[in-house]
Amino acid sequence: MSPPVPLSPAFDVAALREQFPLLCAQPALVYLDNAATTHKPRAVLDAERRFYETSNANVHRSVHRLAHAATDAFENARSTIARFLNAHDAREIVFTRGTTEAINLVAQSWGRSQLHAGDEIILTMLEHHANIVPWQMLAAERGLTLRVVELQPDGSLDLAQFRQLMGSRTRLLAVTALSNAIGTRPPLREMIDTAHRHGARVLVDAAQAMAHDIIDVQDLDADFLVFSGHKVFGPTGIGALWARGDLLAGMPPWQGGGEMIERVSFSGTTYQAPPYRFEAGTPPMAQAVGLAAALDWLGALDRPALAAYEDMLRATLEHGLAALPGVRVVGTAPGKGPLVSAAFEQAHPFDVAQFLDARDIAVRVGTHCAQPLMETLQLPGTLRISLCAYNTVTEVEALLSALADTLEWLQ
Amino acid sequence: MTFDRARITEQLGQAASWEAKNRLLVQIARELPALDDADRDDAHRVHGCESGVWMSLDWRDDRLTLRLDSDSRVVRGLLVLVLAAFHGRSADDILSVDFAGWLAQLGLARFLTSSRANGLKAIVDRVRDAASRHLADRPARYC
Ligand SMILES: Cc1ncc(COP(=O)(O)O)c(C=O)c1O
Repeated sequence: MSPPVPLSPAFDVAALREQFPLLCAQPALVYLDNAATTHKPRAVLDAERRFYETSNANVHRSVHRLAHAATDAFENARSTIARFLNAHDAREIVFTRGTTEAINLVAQSWGRSQLHAGDEIILTMLEHHANIVPWQMLAAERGLTLRVVELQPDGSLDLAQFRQLMGSRTRLLAVTALSNAIGTRPPLREMIDTAHRHGARVLVDAAQAMAHDIIDVQDLDADFLVFSGHKVFGPTGIGALWARGDLLAGMPPWQGGGEMIERVSFSGTTYQAPPYRFEAGTPPMAQAVGLAAALDWLGALDRPALAAYEDMLRATLEHGLAALPGVRVVGTAPGKGPLVSAAFEQAHPFDVAQFLDARDIAVRVGTHCAQPLMETLQLPGTLRISLCAYNTVTEVEALLSALADTLEWLQ
Repeated sequence: MTFDRARITEQLGQAASWEAKNRLLVQIARELPALDDADRDDAHRVHGCESGVWMSLDWRDDRLTLRLDSDSRVVRGLLVLVLAAFHGRSADDILSVDFAGWLAQLGLARFLTSSRANGLKAIVDRVRDAASRHLADRPARYC
């Protein structure tokens, strides 16, 4: 492998880092666990604080001035998310607690109303437990069959086998846009086309892709797309489901409570139109505003330059790992995201991570909530190094040198 | 199999940095005999850890026999601490041990807070539960 070519400084990472209070306050920290959660730029923290300081009231309920301000802020956040995803209409955005809740919403609402015994759902070996377990629960309840797209040796999906799995009973393909465990990016456009030709719907888990890829739901032509705010520089406790308007309109509510009803009486209740039908109870308002600020912040960056920068970091990292004895990169699919999983001949990943932590280098070890994948790869787990916009070549070099030391003495 | 709590306390107490403490744990781990493969099965596995951890416990003459193993060397070092605290002791003794306090004294409290990853808390809870159950099962001796 030839060394990666350093980019011209089109992307000013020093200026970017300065916008992250936690990184400024902890300059020695090397944070390479961004797939678990990213840090938050000042713009996000300010937006949440400003909401509480200027607009705090309950949304959609009261007629007073402050309630209008809160409702405006909340609905503007919805519009921002719709714009960021290039959704057709802001009413296609349902706020959720995150990816996990959004997938459960689709399973419980669309799945329970549309799927019947004998129907089939196709998942892939790359999926996070959040995109497996809700379907297993639904399958057990409804007598559905789950089928799984297998991996090629490099960690890409076996598309020939995928096409064979597609059949007349296939009703849904649920697939990640970027594997949180080994970085593979499945060929979404192609898979979505295939699924649609068989009359199946497609749910895209964009939890990992949001921070790295430009996501355009119209261009992708998916049916559902879900993500979490906290993995894309936004707050915890907020995320969203995007669903095509005609699908949402036909979906029944899944949680009952305030906000989601049009009229309640003890003889019967009528429900609001989407998206409110799916947002029972007081929503996380400040968090929604924070999420919109995160997407505005990210959207203002030069995204192609950022993607090239992240890919340069990944290539530098993989090049360095290849030079270390006893280290194997798990997942080498072409076009993978800025996330590298490593396995060691001599050392347990947990021990390696423990020593990296002693040098304030944060990585993740384990099965990454993808136990079926790890079993297939016959690994007890890996050490995962996940990069994002604010990481630097210096940090990658610090990791590589700490790793070299650690492996030498753990032998 | 005995582990010298005083020596462990002294050694770990002298290790100043987190890295030095981790290195010592790896060294201490060498004292831990490996479990037979037969005992490293699912029935003995402590779940929810990022490394494999196995445990078996039984009582001989009202004293706990504890056997532990892991595929991580740092965790094996921690398991030596668990043995030093609980192995060969009576149920009453076990329930009086302040394990968290000892770890804090050793500068290793962080291992208990991040214990979903290393399984330490799950193991200590199981030992304590076993001790409580052992006391409850023992026929009360009235004169
Ligand atoms: C690919 C993928 N899907 C789903 C999730 C679940 O996200 P959350 O825990 O924010 O709901 C994650 C988080 O790790 C993920 O990486």
